[in-house]
Amino acid sequence: MTANVETLRSAFASAEIGLPADGIPTIRVPLVELTSAVQRVTRDLGFNRFVDLTAIDRLTSEERFELVYLFYSMQRHTWLRLKTRTDSEAPSITEQIPGANWYEREVWDLFGVRFEGHPELRRIMLPDDWQGHPLRRSEPLGFEPVDFTVTRDVYGGVGSQVSGLGEHA
Amino acid sequence: MTADTRHLIPGTSERSERELLTVNMGPQHPSTHGVLRLELRLDGEVVVHCRPVIGYLHTGIEKTFEAKTYVQGVVLTDRMDYLNPLGNNLAYALSIEKLIGCEIPERATVLRVLLAELTRIASHLMFVGSIALDLGASSPFLYVWREREKILDFFERISGVRMMTSFIRPGGLVRDIEPAIVSDISRFIDEMPAYIDSYEELLTANPIFRERTEGIGGLSADDALALAVTGPTLRASSVDFDVRKSNPYCGYETYDFAIPTGTVGDCYDRYLVRVAEMRESVKICRQALDRLTEGSVRTEDRKVMPPPREELAKSMEAVIHHFKLWTEGIKPPPGEAYVGVESPRGELGFFVVSDGTGRPIRVHERAPSFANLQALPKLTEGGMVADVVACIASLDPILGEVDR
Amino acid sequence: MALSHDGKNGSPGFLLTRLEDWARESSIWPVTFGLACCAIEMMATGASRFDMARFGSELFRASPRQADLMIVAGRVSQKMAPVLREIYDQMPEPKWVIAMGDCASCSGVFNNYALIQGVDKIVPVDVYVPGCPPTPDALLDSLIKLKERVRTDSRAARHGAQTGPGVGIPHQPS
Repeated sequence: MTANVETLRSAFASAEIGLPADGIPTIRVPLVELTSAVQRVTRDLGFNRFVDLTAIDRLTSEERFELVYLFYSMQRHTWLRLKTRTDSEAPSITEQIPGANWYEREVWDLFGVRFEGHPELRRIMLPDDWQGHPLRRSEPLGFEPVDFTVTRDVYGGVGSQVSGLGEHA
Repeated sequence: MTADTRHLIPGTSERSERELLTVNMGPQHPSTHGVLRLELRLDGEVVVHCRPVIGYLHTGIEKTFEAKTYVQGVVLTDRMDYLNPLGNNLAYALSIEKLIGCEIPERATVLRVLLAELTRIASHLMFVGSIALDLGASSPFLYVWREREKILDFFERISGVRMMTSFIRPGGLVRDIEPAIVSDISRFIDEMPAYIDSYEELLTANPIFRERTEGIGGLSADDALALAVTGPTLRASSVDFDVRKSNPYCGYETYDFAIPTGTVGDCYDRYLVRVAEMRESVKICRQALDRLTEGSVRTEDRKVMPPPREELAKSMEAVIHHFKLWTEGIKPPPGEAYVGVESPRGELGFFVVSDGTGRPIRVHERAPSFANLQALPKLTEGGMVADVVACIASLDPILGEVDR
Repeated sequence: MALSHDGKNGSPGFLLTRLEDWARESSIWPVTFGLACCAIEMMATGASRFDMARFGSELFRASPRQADLMIVAGRVSQKMAPVLREIYDQMPEPKWVIAMGDCASCSGVFNNYALIQGVDKIVPVDVYVPGCPPTPDALLDSLIKLKERVRTDSRAARHGAQTGPGVGIPHQPS
């Protein structure tokens, strides 16, 4: 595993390379270097299977979303994580990696990160006319208060309004 | 003929090129394996363009994880890939255990393997039944349910629940499995190869089944890798990759089993690979049962698993641990972890991000069916519309984990 | 008129109405509406061990036009809700709805933005089946309860006469 990290350090001299709890080497790159980093990782370093793309909402004022890419080397049987931070946009890697298509649409749908160069960036999980990006941590869970009798005063009987049951005697 | 009857003569219409027919398949459809919608554009019977539309089962599970503690989240994992509930529990538990860094006792690890492989057998049984039913053979469906009911009975005896057991938790298992149940599982495992033979007798050499699956929906190895496909679909395209062999977890490196691969990558190969995987899972279960020893099924780390009830009467520390676990929950150190496991559909993993509190800030499931379903246009385009059903059935998607 | 609903209690319509009720109750054919995990238990109920067919539900019809019963088996997302209502509307009268499972009854474990909080917000429900998922025994029990209701009066006007929001559908002030 350490030999792997050393190879990465030589390939990504300017980037930060960390080793979190799961032992998967994690490279942080600035957003402008993302496309070239993905090319280097997949072609030069042999991580030829794209595994996953997701986002984390860090709730910072700048560069709020952390994009997390996961790759796998079919030869060396190891994973590699690539991370970058963005406010709202990122370059799409779908041209290079067709498998990333739906993953980028999902991140757009649920987080609102726009991928430039994606062939068809539309909502995928939510209805097409949905407003908002629910997986952002600033957005509420959207739960319905349950009409328990003990909380009826707290929620003002809102549950009974919703269900149309009316006040019980 | 007059000018206003010319349109009745074939070939004289203004539109010289053929018009494509748009057909909507789903989301309510008997053969789409859930709420999958396909927008098909057909030239006669040939599928020119296939666009899957998903999201009809989007449940906001990943957002709900952030509102729950880590143990409450186990309940949500059952319901994502609902044909592999224990496998999902296992993947989630492994990620959290990696974050915390706690030791799992040997008996718990072996039982986890046993339960995961039983779930794999149950899932593949469902696959055999549903692909047969989709292609018109209604008997195998009823036969596989006979064996699946036996497995679900074991789960009910073990945990009280047939399907959504939530039995594998961070730190071990919920409770131990009684010797009587273990011996019954052992007897079932001994009988299972004969049952698999009987399913193969119905389908594998059946000329109608072969006609409808051989040469249909071919996927090359390069295309499969480029589309992030994993699991039996990838193995049927002759790439021998299985997370249990390449990145073993739960002691899989010590079990003796093979990785069945296909040659052509068509629907028939995907069926053969899964049936062969059932046999390998039976072998793994046999080995797990043989090596089962006495021991605890929960980790000793009291910050993860509660102390046994008897200890609460004797030790103040146990009471404090119990109290902290019930009020604050497990609090892994800040960080993130992903552990890839092999589900019946491919590489499954939970990417858990913690900030040191009792609730995660992000849990993302790397769902194998989400990537596998991206291959559906490649499988169906150029083929007949009647083969679309065979292609979907052979991919074995579960919309619960596709949409989450 | 022999088939009139009011022809009970000894008048000429009574026997034929009872015949109608018995016929409807003995052959309730559901439409395939399995959405998620409950669909698997619904399939288990249709398989040999629990066998819904012996209670009259011989077949699941894919077309809603040929079905009497909609078993909403699974969670209904925001995207799926209009589809569910359209399928329900296509079913001919008399029709019944079983909300199978916690998600169909009240969204169960998933009290969040993505799901309809109970399918009774968009269709009228006759029987709710608790469980996550309900065991096939529970689903059979609900089917038997539904059959009792159908047997007593299969032409109850609850579904057909409903033109405004019913119980569970929030009334929008105009």
